[in-house]
Amino acid sequence: MHSSIGDTDRRKFLSRTITAVHAAIAGVVGVIIGGAISSPIFGRQEETWLPAASLTNLPENEPTPVPLRIAREDGYREVIDRRIVFLVRTSNDQVTALDSTCTHLGCRVSWDADAQLFKCPCHGGQYDQMGTVKAGPPPAALTRLTTRVNGDQVLVRV
Amino acid sequence: MRIVGNLVDWLDSRTGIRTARKHLLDEELPAGVGWWFVTGSILLMLLAVQLITGVVLTMYYVPSPEFAYDSVFYIMNNVAFGRVLRGLHFFGASFIVVAAVMHMLRVVALGSYKAPREVTWVTGVILLLVILGFALTGYLLPWDQKAYWATTVTVNIARSGPFGTWISALMKGGESLGSLTLLRWYSAHVFLLPAALIGFVVAHLYLMRRHGISGALKKVEGQPKPFYPYHALKDTVVSAAVFALLLTFAIMFKPPLDALADPTDASYVPRPEWYFLSLFQLLKYFPGPLEPLATMVIPGVIVGLLVLLPFLDSHPDRRPFKRPAVTGGFAIIGAAIIVLTYLGYKDTPAHADPARWTPLALAGREFVADPQCVRCHAQGGAANPIANTRVTRDQEWLLAHVRDPEIIAPGLRPIPSGAMTESQARSILSYMKKVRSGGTPPQVSEEVATASMIFGRFCAACHTIDGEGGTAGPDLTHEGSRGHDAKWLKDWISEPETIDPAANMPSFLGRLTDEQLTAIANYLAARK
Repeated sequence: MHSSIGDTDRRKFLSRTITAVHAAIAGVVGVIIGGAISSPIFGRQEETWLPAASLTNLPENEPTPVPLRIAREDGYREVIDRRIVFLVRTSNDQVTALDSTCTHLGCRVSWDADAQLFKCPCHGGQYDQMGTVKAGPPPAALTRLTTRVNGDQVLVRV
Repeated sequence: MRIVGNLVDWLDSRTGIRTARKHLLDEELPAGVGWWFVTGSILLMLLAVQLITGVVLTMYYVPSPEFAYDSVFYIMNNVAFGRVLRGLHFFGASFIVVAAVMHMLRVVALGSYKAPREVTWVTGVILLLVILGFALTGYLLPWDQKAYWATTVTVNIARSGPFGTWISALMKGGESLGSLTLLRWYSAHVFLLPAALIGFVVAHLYLMRRHGISGALKKVEGQPKPFYPYHALKDTVVSAAVFALLLTFAIMFKPPLDALADPTDASYVPRPEWYFLSLFQLLKYFPGPLEPLATMVIPGVIVGLLVLLPFLDSHPDRRPFKRPAVTGGFAIIGAAIIVLTYLGYKDTPAHADPARWTPLALAGREFVADPQCVRCHAQGGAANPIANTRVTRDQEWLLAHVRDPEIIAPGLRPIPSGAMTESQARSILSYMKKVRSGGTPPQVSEEVATASMIFGRFCAACHTIDGEGGTAGPDLTHEGSRGHDAKWLKDWISEPETIDPAANMPSFLGRLTDEQLTAIANYLAARK
């Protein structure tokens, strides 16, 4: 003879087992998928020194755009990123390197020699020749990259 | 006919399709369900068009930075009806945004979100967000300038919020915007979002059927009528009219494709599609630390209010003027969006057509006939003719290659003597870009062709025309409007020091023939 209480317990046990097995499968798949999707969060950028310009060619206190070619991996392919850096020679052997990426939303700024300002075409951000914010929405000055002068060669860390 | 009838009978006995059809189409609608209730069907039709055109586009589109732009270009120029196909998909996106907003306004105006239809409304708000998600992810896929810069801005907006660094890394998929970003957004656009769209559309329709249509504000006397064919006819008429309008757009207007994405180009002025212009404009009013107000808080509050609307306004009265807070709120937000969109539109500079021919490009067309180039770039030669060559290398490599074709990497050795000048090489690059953007070389007079070649060979190292050239000397785009006639210009170019002893400009007397000097002077004087 079947006991109805025993039957209910068995059903409960079976249903919990089914749920647990499904949850375990979902959990394993979830971890694998979650890891694959979020892997860019754990990516690291490697830094390197690149020769950018000859010191004698740089005018004093006038930003000079210099294109840098940075080889890197872009997923399944190798690419050469072209990045514009502005070099400002502040004294005989001092050079400041400013990243041309607007600190607001990442557009590319350009140097307006007439207005003596860096201008961003997206939302009207403006910076002076040392990258300090003069107008518009940028929350911070243009990013400064570390520079080193080696003889006549200016090296930039990117 | 009897055979068909028997076949349907048999199929019905095995599958129950007659009952299913009856259940789907024969719903009784109350009297008074008029033309206002066709907005949902318009949306369904437009979404179906997007789905079908999207599937066909993926037969040609390649989601990689090397080929995305070219594959879209191929669709537009080589696939039969390709331009119209992409046009339907491109303009269809705008039509859907308009139709979705109209559908929502109809539901709000007639209070159709009220009990028991709260969940139907919430699924509708989610669908609106899914549609905007489609619009956003679709942006990047052509990999043109607009795609690149609009996505840069979007990713950086995400960075400004809580957990911003993580979210922007998830959106980028890699270190910076590149192949992994494109694949991620493509995957979202063609798998994740369509799955969400279909799921929520089914849920929305199921709930609409479960609770029945909300119907007219006041009960209208009369017999209820089945949906099919009475209301279905109204749906069909309006959907056909909207489709005809969409098709007209797709045929009349070319869907835009900017120049190939160039991460170093600071001259490009990116602007979003019109339906995101209001958000773009809003950004300008919240500088610095206040920015998350414009990017997260205000849009977040609006979406939150939309989701909660049926719970905040739970009184059963559906008449719009008995719900002043809701009607007024929607009117104010709607007006604000319209004003912001208008201001954003006013601030949008005219876009230079990437296929428009500049003097540098015209010069490039002449320079590619150089025997040095044609030796390899010819039919049956070692490389494709230059007019058919895809620009896949970066600019520095191309410049070096044009000047020293046998070198494998720029900077390895000095440029040999007798090579093309740098400005000549830039002319050829400009020519290749124009050809790649679909530009057909215009017919120009011999004098203009000569002037363009002189500009490309000598002047462009220091001067700019139409945004191309060097910056050491003045921009010559509007030289004719600076008060100098052709004679003065000819004298100036020939011997600048006789006019201004302190002139930096070199003398061209002896380097250019009298005919060439006249050609360039006339050309510049005519540029008003």
